[in-house]
Amino acid sequence: MKNRLKVLRAERDWSQGDLAERLEVSRQSVNAIETGKYDPSLPLAFRIADLFGLPIEEIFLKE
Amino acid sequence: MAQNPAQRRYMRRMVVLSAAYIAAVMLASWLIPDDAAATPLTVAIALVPALATSGFIWAMARYVAELTDEYVRMLEIRKMLVATGLTLALASGWGILELFTTVPRVQLFYVFPVWCLGLAVGSLVNKVTIGDGGPCL
Repeated sequence: MKNRLKVLRAERDWSQGDLAERLEVSRQSVNAIETGKYDPSLPLAFRIADLFGLPIEEIFLKE
Repeated sequence: MAQNPAQRRYMRRMVVLSAAYIAAVMLASWLIPDDAAATPLTVAIALVPALATSGFIWAMARYVAELTDEYVRMLEIRKMLVATGLTLALASGWGILELFTTVPRVQLFYVFPVWCLGLAVGSLVNKVTIGDGGPCL
């Protein structure tokens, strides 16, 4: 699944580590989600959406 | 990768259980003579180290349950699935060989160490397929 995580993170000038800290996950998790190697669970997707103040569908996109 | 709280707890538990395992094996070796008959007493003493190995399994189960990072948990579970599949395949294959041929008998004791080696193979599979081997414990 594609996502706009990298763009959204860059807009806020956050590193992967910064985002990981805010989400309380590992930096490896953020990297795996960003690069599309791992699709987060619904609860984590909601946490990401809440953090960016956006609906899930504006962050995670259909192929 | 920095250790998270679940990994630190796992390492602490494994150190304690490993010390208990070594002590139990030494005690059993000291108390039970070579080729001793399987009496209730010798069986009971010989099973003490098995409590520690069961403890290893409990510690691994707790580790997976306590991991809060779902991606790391997925990597660990994938490693365990690869290890389990590999161990079952090797044990079944060798068992059939023992049944039909004169290959050397392998003691069941080695199943657990083989499974642990399978974790390393699982880490390699993660590295090749996902690009991330997961935590090295």
